[in-house]
Amino acid sequence: MIKPTALVAGMAIALTSFGSTAQADKLDDIIASGTLKCAVTLDFPPMGFRDESNQPAGFDVDTCRDLAAALGVEAEIVETPFPDRIPALVSGRADVGVASTSDTLERAKTIGFSIPYFAFQMVVLTREDTGIDAYEDLADKRVGSVAGTYEAIALEDDIDEWDAGGSFRPYQTQADVFLALSQGQIDATVVTNTVAQATIDTGNFDGFVVQGDAPYITDYVSLIAPRMEQGLINYLNLFVNQQVRTGRYEELFEKWVGGEAPKLSVNGVYY
Amino acid sequence: MLDYTFHWRPALRALPEMLSGALVTLEIAVLSMILGTIAGVLLALARQSGNRLLSGFATGWIELARNTPALLQVYMAYFGLGSIGIFLDSYLSVLLGIAFNNAGYLAETFRGAMRAIPHTQVRAARSLGMGSAKAFRLIVLPQMFRIAFYPMTNQMVWAILMTSIGVIVGLDTDLTGVTQELNVRTFRTFEYFAIAAVLYYLIAKLVTVSARLMAWRLFRY
Repeated sequence: MIKPTALVAGMAIALTSFGSTAQADKLDDIIASGTLKCAVTLDFPPMGFRDESNQPAGFDVDTCRDLAAALGVEAEIVETPFPDRIPALVSGRADVGVASTSDTLERAKTIGFSIPYFAFQMVVLTREDTGIDAYEDLADKRVGSVAGTYEAIALEDDIDEWDAGGSFRPYQTQADVFLALSQGQIDATVVTNTVAQATIDTGNFDGFVVQGDAPYITDYVSLIAPRMEQGLINYLNLFVNQQVRTGRYEELFEKWVGGEAPKLSVNGVYY
Repeated sequence: MLDYTFHWRPALRALPEMLSGALVTLEIAVLSMILGTIAGVLLALARQSGNRLLSGFATGWIELARNTPALLQVYMAYFGLGSIGIFLDSYLSVLLGIAFNNAGYLAETFRGAMRAIPHTQVRAARSLGMGSAKAFRLIVLPQMFRIAFYPMTNQMVWAILMTSIGVIVGLDTDLTGVTQELNVRTFRTFEYFAIAAVLYYLIAKLVTVSARLMAWRLFRY
């Protein structure tokens, strides 16, 4: 039997501690804890991958470190496959997602997006022996992509719309897509230009070629945070703005991708 | 702390899609059980056959099926066979991978069940003039299935739950596949996974309850 006084005291402690955590928002929590936990996808070169010494590297990893530096805390990379990005945030395993997340309206019902911090062009990646020269050739082919990504959704919709005997397979990781493509389980995939080039550059996949652009609307990707953490999202917006303003965005783009960095603004409309 | 507001209304709208996924899950489980039972009986016999080659093959199968993860077995059926130029589609890889696993476990269940039948019964059947095949068919097999019935029910439930690893080889029509697809599109992870868990529970329960009813009907003296 618990004594009533002990029970009341316990409840009082529980209530006050609950009260104090409710007031501090995520931004406060990150600064107080001294660590920024970033969900980063590490099978998505050159945005996120593991270098020769198995350490996380890439544009997203550097972006996370810049963000941590701006906040004055330590960066901690939490490796997160694409489908697990949101569970990682919601369960508190990560504070923000720096994982090339496309800012769809459907997802925005669940998760908070910053302004875009990167933009992708999609290309068709195939093997030399498939005879595919352009996006339209995919109509009657077996294709695949990483489940739920921007390009996977667009590609599956087009395959359904063409209805010309093609089929679409979703895989859980980018690595499985390349494995399936190299073995012949699928004949082509649509991936971001950066990933396509990085994959061909590894030299691990003989016969992989890029055959033209996929005619999708530019895929803007954003940093993500819990939807109600408006304070944190404001900070992320300013951070992205500062990255571009100070030239750090172009510097990182040159370091990991090369060439001209894509514009992050949409003409003719406010964000 | 979980900081999350549930959106049940849009999630429940996807219920018909998830139910048809559940049907595919059940279908794979049933087919894999049928294949697994046939292969399991043959493996159990092969293991006891005394023929070095046959029992070696059966032992190898059973050891592999029981001592490696089912995930690996399905992955090997898809990407492993793919690397030597044999392309099974996702559905077939999952079906065969799980049937392979079922056969391994069931073979041991069947072997134990056969052992439980007193050998004197076979002797009696033989002395009544039955051939060894007929004695096996009429005396051993029916009793073996009776003894192995509840373990087989367990294996069936296990098969249903195992179909969820199909998502790793691109299966997008079963319950987990459909759920994961909805999840990555909308990011409403908790709602869809909760619904999927309830559906898995109901399918498994349906199987155990109907097995119990069947047993009550079949095993009356």
